[in-house]
Amino acid sequence: MEAAGISTIALSMVPALTAAAGAPRVAAIEFPFGRPLGQPGDSDMQRAVLRATLETLRDATAPGTVVELPFKWPEPPDQVHWHPKEPSPIGRLLASDPSLFKQLLKGEIPAAASRRAP
Amino acid sequence: MVDSFRYLSPTSTAIVKMLIARAPAEPIPWAPLPRPLAEATIALVSTAALSMATDAAFDTEGERANPWWGDPSYRIIPRTATERDIVASHLHIESAYLHDDLDVALPLRRLEELVRGGLVGGAAPSHYSFQGYLLDPSEFLAASVPAMVEQMKREAVDAAVFIPV
Repeated sequence: MEAAGISTIALSMVPALTAAAGAPRVAAIEFPFGRPLGQPGDSDMQRAVLRATLETLRDATAPGTVVELPFKWPEPPDQVHWHPKEPSPIGRLLASDPSLFKQLLKGEIPAAASRRAP
Repeated sequence: MVDSFRYLSPTSTAIVKMLIARAPAEPIPWAPLPRPLAEATIALVSTAALSMATDAAFDTEGERANPWWGDPSYRIIPRTATERDIVASHLHIESAYLHDDLDVALPLRRLEELVRGGLVGGAAPSHYSFQGYLLDPSEFLAASVPAMVEQMKREAVDAAVFIPV
């Protein structure tokens, strides 16, 4: 995308991964998955987060810029629910077969990842 | 200090650390913002597997049948879309929040407000979503990214804001 002349920025809740993947500009935020801009109905927070992200896009001058945004999630940690009601298919598969999890942690991604039908 | 692992389980933390360790060390690409932000056209890109209810949804059945695979396609979400118009098909997050208020993940209304306030030049007619769980992103990179770039160029987009969920 940058090669096509389009500037990019990522608003990331896992900035360590986003930066490692080679993102040119990262606005880092410690919010739960599924709600990177804030809570439903909290327009002021959502606008402030998007504004800070766009200001990071505007002000970054070097590849690999990571700016930590100062926002705090408004719920106590034990009240944060972000997981789906039904566990993800890969989560269930790995839980059912620890050898697959060990294999994945070695960086061995099965060929089945590349095709819809295994 | 933003903790990347604050909301991840030990299992997911281990997988993310593996992905960080095996990320190839390549030069970071860089395109300067081609014009001042106050004159720039912006497109948003969400990884929440959002589709318009009138379009085909992302393929969750394929992922259920083969949990290693994720749908590598993308969808266009028009600037005027709201939570009433979209379907979210991401099997790794609770999607109820963005069905209540799309701006928690794809802040189209907030972007319009920042355009009206003068921070940003304009919102592109088209915004984008794909499904972020892609252990093998090669098809996404080979097919979906070039197609999104082509549409962005047609709409004179200056910058894209990626919003992982």
